[in-house]
Amino acid sequence: MNAPLKALNEMQRLTSPFPESVAVKEWKATTGRFVIGWYNPYVPEEIIHAAGMLPFEVTGDNEPVQMQGAEAHIYSNSCSKVRTCWQLGLDGKYDFLDGYVSTHMCDQDMRLHEVWSYYRKLPFMELIYAPRKRTEEAVQLYLKDLEGFRDRLSQYLICRIPDQHISKSIRLYNRGRVLMQRLYELRKRDRPPVTGAEAVEVSKAAARMPRERFNELMEQLLAEIQRTGREIKKARRLMLIGNDLHNTTQIEALESADAVVVVDEMDVGLRRAAGQVDTKLPPMEALARYYVMGRPVDKHTWNSDQRLELIGMLAEQYKVDGVVSQAVRFCTYLGWDKFDLKTQLQERGIPILELDLEYGHPGGAQMRIRAEAFMEMLESRAG
Amino acid sequence: MSNDKILSVDEIRATLKKMKAGVKKQPGLMKSTYRYLDAVSGYVERIANAKEEGAWVASHGTQQPLEILEAMDVRGVFNEFWGVVSDIARLESVPAAMSVSASLGTPGEVCSFFRNMDGLMHVGKWPRSDMFLYAASVCDNVKAFHTLGRRYGIPSFGLERSFLPYTAHAIEFWKNEYKRLIAFLEEQTGKKMDYDRLKDVVAKSYRLTELHLEIDKLVASVPCPLSPECFSATLVAIRCWPGTQYGIDFLTEVRDELQERVDKGIGAIENERFRVLWSTFTPFFDPTLMGFMQKKYGAVSVADMLSTWRVDENLQANWLLDPDDPLGNLAYRTVLAPGNCQYSTGVDVGTVLAGKCRRFKVDAAIFQNNWGCKTGAGYGPIIKDELMRQVKVPTLTLHSDILDHTFISRAEIESQMDSFFEMVEASKAYQERRAAA
Repeated sequence: MNAPLKALNEMQRLTSPFPESVAVKEWKATTGRFVIGWYNPYVPEEIIHAAGMLPFEVTGDNEPVQMQGAEAHIYSNSCSKVRTCWQLGLDGKYDFLDGYVSTHMCDQDMRLHEVWSYYRKLPFMELIYAPRKRTEEAVQLYLKDLEGFRDRLSQYLICRIPDQHISKSIRLYNRGRVLMQRLYELRKRDRPPVTGAEAVEVSKAAARMPRERFNELMEQLLAEIQRTGREIKKARRLMLIGNDLHNTTQIEALESADAVVVVDEMDVGLRRAAGQVDTKLPPMEALARYYVMGRPVDKHTWNSDQRLELIGMLAEQYKVDGVVSQAVRFCTYLGWDKFDLKTQLQERGIPILELDLEYGHPGGAQMRIRAEAFMEMLESRAG
Repeated sequence: MSNDKILSVDEIRATLKKMKAGVKKQPGLMKSTYRYLDAVSGYVERIANAKEEGAWVASHGTQQPLEILEAMDVRGVFNEFWGVVSDIARLESVPAAMSVSASLGTPGEVCSFFRNMDGLMHVGKWPRSDMFLYAASVCDNVKAFHTLGRRYGIPSFGLERSFLPYTAHAIEFWKNEYKRLIAFLEEQTGKKMDYDRLKDVVAKSYRLTELHLEIDKLVASVPCPLSPECFSATLVAIRCWPGTQYGIDFLTEVRDELQERVDKGIGAIENERFRVLWSTFTPFFDPTLMGFMQKKYGAVSVADMLSTWRVDENLQANWLLDPDDPLGNLAYRTVLAPGNCQYSTGVDVGTVLAGKCRRFKVDAAIFQNNWGCKTGAGYGPIIKDELMRQVKVPTLTLHSDILDHTFISRAEIESQMDSFFEMVEASKAYQERRAAA
């Protein structure tokens, strides 16, 4: 049994209770500045940070949420992540937010933004278009929206957000990405230093506390791993793909079956750590290029060939025994990738477990049974 | 699994021909019914005969500049319309095709327009297509065009646009996307765009818009002259025949008949009790529902969201700003065009529809919460609240599937409508409206 990681414990202490955590309260108390909620990975946190505000990712967490109230405003034939977040909003859990920024990454993200604006408007609300193509034209289209966002945020702040501040924030966030990438590299080891659940907890913390503090803790975490020689000894290596899992009890349930998640393909995981914003370009353009073209292709991109390719490639790089796919019901994008993904993994000889849980669903007995059955299947293949 | 229930192109053609012959003998229908079925059937014939007539076929989603296709001899297969026409021809076809789609692993929660297409393609009953075209609208399902294109080796092109399509830069971007679409079509067909022809097509399309709005004015009359059998005439013209003389002749005939009925005071039924707006889709999954509503409740369908133009204070949708700039006109057309209003906020859609409620003297709205439509699930409650707030029009939310008649039974719908219309009739707003009429 490995000792808990002190740096991760500190991240978790700072980001608890969820969502109005110690870190949020300290931020408000010590700086008196705004906290801006952001919803999906096409919102550049760097711009919010450069405005002297705390970017905070709006999500659910490790506790399932009853969504009946939310369903009065967003019908139940929609994504449970969207409904969870709106329920938390309705319950007043996000009352500490001064603003909410989202992108039209999918129809449901866009409608959550709209429902929030209509029924519980915050002082600052913004919606940006997230291009479906990865082309030069798409970068320019997105850049226009980003400039508009910057203008309106400056107006809200009553102070122009200067390029220099944005450049500084880019460097800070780039540093965070480098540190998170190092953790991914370490997970390639035969015995990775962290579990999949721990890795996602780290990634969640990145979007829930001041990035300066996160980077310090991340440095400590990597040093701690180096110092202690921590190793996770499990029989099977898994990869997690699909929608974001913010309830890490689901991952713990998977890992309880003598397995460890060594890599993922989630926005909350790999994509948060991926790539670097080019510091040689004008900062706004650099951000636009990074967010449209600089990260691995995701589910919302029309041409998802490279996403499917990436999953196969990662599975080989991280020597995984099986892939666990988590597609929340009503996720249209993942729905349309499903058939070809399965075919491609079959061709590569990689088994896949399609969990398809509701967002925030607890990692209970049902999940354990399915995980155990999958592990047995992996074992029989290995034997 | 037998695929016998799934209709092939030829079976649809044969069924529509029989239906056309049938309506000639049926008494009590609007004269335009035959022409309406001819427009539906003619659209299918154009697709079926494309190859032998030397035309290309592009299967496509919503918000496509069909005028560009028309000017390049590319015939569109609108995937949504294909689902609707399948329901018109045989209700069992779509559920059977969707079973095939499910067997491939496509989740049942994605839109049935696309699941129907998925199933038909797998069994080889989708119209032969040279290419797929799609656009950023309010439908994430358009990703399916790329996915299916990859699976079946069909080249595809997607049109990108900003969520805020009303800004100058968004319209300029959209226009440039049209240029890129033309380049794609030129590459696929080996044919150059004839811009003079495009101008002519665009002018014809504008005439169709004018006719549509003239028809709207007539339909707004009390009693409503439009019967359910022709309710979708304008939608079919605008979505299937833009830029063609056929479309103009078709809507001219419909308009003239409606004018005649208005002049003679002929309504869809004798005693209108309720005037209904479909605040999202009309009930494609049950082609006889509107007729049933008229008969049982005296509820006449007078308007819907899908065939709504964004009109100015003069009730015009003037998108032909510069006849020498066909692409600019088309970019602006899309902003005003029917169906595009969904690409906006629920408050905006609610406001557009509230205006329609006032003009069409609507008493009640029905919002079909289509199972596979995430846009509807997200903005339905706001539209409902806005219609009540702005024009005191109550909404019945009908949880259904746009194409699949097995999703909700007629008995269930009837039970919901019984209570709904009873409630509407007892409401103060309804009584005040009737007293003022």
